[in-house]
This record gives sequence, C-alpha cells and structure tokens, in this order.
Amino acid sequence: MILFIKLFKESAFFAWGSVVANKLRTLLTLLGITIGIFAIISVFSVVDALEKSIRGSIASLGENVVYIQKWPWEFGSDYPWWRYINRPTPRVSELDEIMRRTQILDAVVFTASTSRTVEFGNRSMERITILTASHDYDKIRSFEIGNGRYFSPTESFNGRNVALIGANIAQNLFNEVDPVGKIIKIFGRNIEVIGVFTQEGDDIFGNSHDDLVLLPVTFVNSFIDVNSDRYNPAILAKGRENFDNDELIDELRGTMRSIRRIKPTADDNFALNQASLLSTQFDNVFSVLKIAGWIIGGFSILVGGFGIANIMFVSVKERTNIIGIQKALGAKNYFILFQFLTEAVLLSLMGGIIGLVMVFGISWLATSILGMNLMLSMKNIMLGINVSVIIGLIAGFVPAWSAARLDPVEAIRTGL
Amino acid sequence: MIEVKELKKSFGELNVLKGINTTFEVGKTNLIIGQSGSGKTVFMKCLVGLLEPDSGGVFFDKNNFTLMNEKQRTKVRKKMGMLFQGSALFDSLTVEENVVFPLEMFNKDMTRKEKLERAHFCLDRVNILDANHLYPAEISGGMKKRVAIARAIANKPDYLFCDEPNSGLDPQTAIVIDRLISEITKEFRITTIINTHDMNSVMEIGDHVIFIYKGNLWWEGSSDEILTTGNKEVEDFVYASELVRKLK
Ligand SMILES: Nc1ncnc2c1ncn2[C@@H]1O[C@H](COP(=O)(O)OP(=O)(O)O)[C@@H](O)[C@H]1O
Ligand SMILES: [Mg+2]
Repeated sequence: MILFIKLFKESAFFAWGSVVANKLRTLLTLLGITIGIFAIISVFSVVDALEKSIRGSIASLGENVVYIQKWPWEFGSDYPWWRYINRPTPRVSELDEIMRRTQILDAVVFTASTSRTVEFGNRSMERITILTASHDYDKIRSFEIGNGRYFSPTESFNGRNVALIGANIAQNLFNEVDPVGKIIKIFGRNIEVIGVFTQEGDDIFGNSHDDLVLLPVTFVNSFIDVNSDRYNPAILAKGRENFDNDELIDELRGTMRSIRRIKPTADDNFALNQASLLSTQFDNVFSVLKIAGWIIGGFSILVGGFGIANIMFVSVKERTNIIGIQKALGAKNYFILFQFLTEAVLLSLMGGIIGLVMVFGISWLATSILGMNLMLSMKNIMLGINVSVIIGLIAGFVPAWSAARLDPVEAIRTGL
Repeated sequence: MIEVKELKKSFGELNVLKGINTTFEVGKTNLIIGQSGSGKTVFMKCLVGLLEPDSGGVFFDKNNFTLMNEKQRTKVRKKMGMLFQGSALFDSLTVEENVVFPLEMFNKDMTRKEKLERAHFCLDRVNILDANHLYPAEISGGMKKRVAIARAIANKPDYLFCDEPNSGLDPQTAIVIDRLISEITKEFRITTIINTHDMNSVMEIGDHVIFIYKGNLWWEGSSDEILTTGNKEVEDFVYASELVRKLK
C-alpha cells in the first residue's frame, strides 16, 4: 500500500505539473472552483455572523417575555395591516388586571415611547427616545446603572418627575458635570435626573439604553395619553422560570380575552409577540440567503467542474504511454482510475483552498479594519473542502474512467 | 519456448505479416531484424497479445495463447517481462519502487519485505543496487536501461520481450546492455526476443536471428551464418553501413 501513497504522490506531481506547465489555463479553470467556493463560503460566513448577532440580540429581548401589542411582529410585503388597524392598544389600566388574573407571571410592565428634545441649561439634544415604563421594567429588561439609582416604588406609583438617562446623553448634555441631582427639561417640564445607565453599545435592532431617557409611566401619563397608538404602547409579560412559552401564550391569550370581553367566536384584538417567533422569521431569511449563495457559487463551480474535466482529458491524452506501461506491468483498471481521480480531486481542492484563503483574507480584513465580527469557521472550511472534493470526483470520473478503459495497444505507442 | 505458426496480420490493405513460422528456444537470445517499418514491432505485439493476429497461432510452451480467454492470458502475462523503448520508468518513483511496481501489481501474496528483497536482488544483478533510492531523473540513460531490465525480470519471467533495447544509447553502453540481457537469458533460462536494427547486437548476442522482409520470414539462422548467406536482401541489410562493407 506504500505504493499507493507513492502513486498518490505521482498524481499530485502530475496535478502540480499541469498547473506549472499551463499556468494560465489551469488557473483560469481553477478560478471557477475558486469563485464558486468563495461565493458559497463567504455567504455562509456572513450568514453565520448575522445569525450569531441576531440570536444574541433576540436573547436580550428576553426568551420568555411576551409582548402584548396592537401590531404583530411580522415581515413581508403581504402584511395584512388592515386587519389590525381598528384594534385597541394595550392600556396602562390593563396591567393590574393581567397581574391579578394570572398566576404564572414573574413581572408585567407597561411601556410606551416617543421622541422629544431634552434640555439642560443652555444645551439641548433633539429627537431623543423617551421611554416610559411602569415600575417593574427592571425585572424584565436587564441593564446596569453606573451612577445613581433606579426609581423607588413611590416615585413610580406617584408619578414623580424623575428620570434615568443613557450614557451618551449624560456625556453630550452634561459633559464633565455629574448629572445626578440635576434638572433637565422635557415636554416643557422640569425633571430630576436620579441615575445614569452604564454604556451598553447597540445590538442588531439598535436597542440599547445608551441614547434614551426613561421616565415613570404614571408621570408621563399625567400630561399625555400614553395609551395612544402614536406612543407604541406595549405590555411586556415575563413568565416564571418553570413555565414554557406555549403555556405563557395560552394563559395570556385567555386573560386578555376575558379582560377585553371578547366573544368566543371573535378573533383576538391584540397581538402576542415573542422573541422566539422572531428567530423563526430570521431562519427563513437565512435559508433564502444560503440558497442564493449555493446558486451563485453553483454556477461557477459548474464551469470550474467542466474545466477540470477538460484538463483531465488532456492529461489522460498526454499520459497514454505511461498508462499503457502501467497496464503492461500488471496495473488493474481501478488502479489507473484511482490515480486520475486523485489528480482531479487535487486540482479541484487547489481551487477550493484558494477560495477559502480568499474568504479568510477578506473576513480578516473586515474584522480588523471594519470591526465586523466575521469568522471563517471550521464548519465552513470543511464544507468548502468537501464541496471541492466532490466536484473533483464528479469532474474527474469520466476522464479517469476513459483512462482506465484505455486499450493498451492504443496506450503504448512507442516501442511495445 | 515460444512457437509461432502461420502468423498473419494486416491493417486494411497493408499486409504487414504474411505468415510467419518460427520457434524461439529457452535460454537463447532470439533477434528479430529488418528494416524500419518491416513489421518487427507489430510482430512482437502479436506475440504478447497487444495485437490480435488475423490468423495463425502463438504457443507459449505448447499452449495456444491466441485461443485463450482473458483469465488464462493474464496467467501467461505474469510470466512475461517487457523492456520498453526508452526505459519508460515512472518518474515519481525511486529506482527501487519502479522495480517493486510489477511485484505490487501481480503478487498479492508477497509481503512488503519479500518484494523489497526481490527488487534488491534484481537491482544487484544489473549492478545498480547502490542507486536504489535515486529517482530516474538523477541517473544516466544506461543506468535507466538497467533499472528497466531489473523491472522486467522482477516477476521471474519465462519470456522476455525487448523492443529496440539499445535505442538512444551510445555504442559502448549499448553493447554492455546487450550483454547483460544475454547473460540474464542464460542464467535464468528465459526465452528472450529482441527487436533490433543494430548489427552490433546481432554479432554480439544473436543466438538465433530471424530477418523479416516484405512481411515474410526471409532468412533465419545464427549470427555466425549471417555474414555469409549469399542472400541479397540480407546482405543489403547487413552491409548497409560503409564501415561494415569495408571490414568485409
Ligand atoms: N496500429 C496500426 N495501424 C495501422 N498500421 C500500422 C499499425 N501499427 C503498425 N502499422 C504499420 O505496420 C508497418 C510495420 O510497423 P512496425 O512494426 O512498427 O515497424 P518496425 O519494424 O519499424 O517496428 C508500418 O508500415 C506501420 O505503419
Ligand atoms: Mg519498431
């Protein structure tokens, strides 16, 4: 079997010889495989990176949190908005009802948001997200307060004019000054800053506490109607640890229907949104992207495959004599077949590996220069290698078969 | 021993062999001579089964090779050694591995060690054992020929076929190679058949010489007889060169 290794070496030698002898032709041919593998593997790598960051973001929305809203989270051009337009919005008053009627919730929070100018002294920032939430907000969304403190229950329930501000706002509005205890102006009202969120950085949905101001909902509700659709009201319900999402959804559906007195035959007039539902929607997008990668790459690979088959036919022709001598010395057909298949696979692999190196180079550049989080994973490397090997086997089979079936009389032209 | 009976071969209109009858004996170097294009190679291909004769038969030790099926032929082929024009070694294999190759292909029951021992024995016999780890590109043309001979005798053949074994060699090396083939033939009692158009070889090792002319076996005899046949076509061939003519 050492001889097989040696002949493998012979095949590698010939594959390399064909690259060196016909550099341009071989490289152009391998380019097909290279581009194909490059297309497929780079799409896969990008999708992997997106997937990872989206999964992370979704997890931050809370795996077991249900968003009770007027509008469902859906994508697509056929979004049936007219079915939802006349629904009522969730109301602050429904919050207590929900808490009272269910046993399986850890926390329920009402949130609404808008965008306003925030002023401090003679400085101001425009179009700042003003988030208003009921007291248990800190039990559902995770965040840290670097400076100051969270709302006290009294402040939340009595609607005191107090605020928590994001790190970027503290930076821009207050500069070196400590914001805690200072008075800012929003909605034309004076509001006391009692805490600053620790810097978080954006997630994929642009959700972070860095650029917002958080106010108690009771306070804001005293001068604008937070239940209005304009403010995007939502009730966030977090289930207890030992209840799964389906139970949570069922329970909330029943509760909401009874609160709103919906007849058994009527449809829900609210949406129950969930992060895990989002991820299934993203799954569809990802699989479409991956299929697109296969199609783009597939065509180049097809071209490259034909190119390799062509190179192999030439190689078989050039080596008819050696094939004949091997046969005359007792080599069996499968032995010849194996030799040429090896050569085809090595050629294809060469093209594929160049493609992988390109993906590696570009993802390295993207990561180190653009700060993106692209990685050529082991899984994708293996995929690229496997695809190359399979293409080599397919493209090399017919030429190798024709070599193996070669008539020794034809094969040995000189001498015997 | 190989017997050839009424062997005919033609390509379309061209009758290359028009019925050859002869016997090649064991332990003898049998030379086939004739002008270029006279059909020596075709004749040898018919002998080893690389070409099918149109009619007639080739008998290896009384067994009619022409009538055998593929399986029986493989058995006989195992007993044939072949020396190809231009050595035809495998460039990516060492000298040693080149000689192991036919052993690897034919002998499933030999261990690796036995194969190497056999290869070393053959290389030693052709006086080139010290080159066994070199590659063909690293040795001279004469040495390559020796390796090719070692490879041809690796499987202990009963029959050895050589087509123009000293083409491309200088006259001195050619004679050395001729003698080597002749010695091996006697030593291992092989039936050896050599195609050549080199008169030096004829004089040096021609135990039995057949002259092919116009598709027929025109003359047959020993190297001693060939100079004095009185046959015009043979003399034309033998004394083709000015040098030999002067010597006469
Ligand atoms: N496969 C073939 N098909 C047709 N003609 C052939 C074939 N092989 C040999 N010939 C012809 O047969 C004749 C004898 O050729 P060959 O045996 O090679 O001569 P040489 O004596 O020089 O070895 C030549 O005319 C050659 O063209
Ligand atoms: Mg010839």
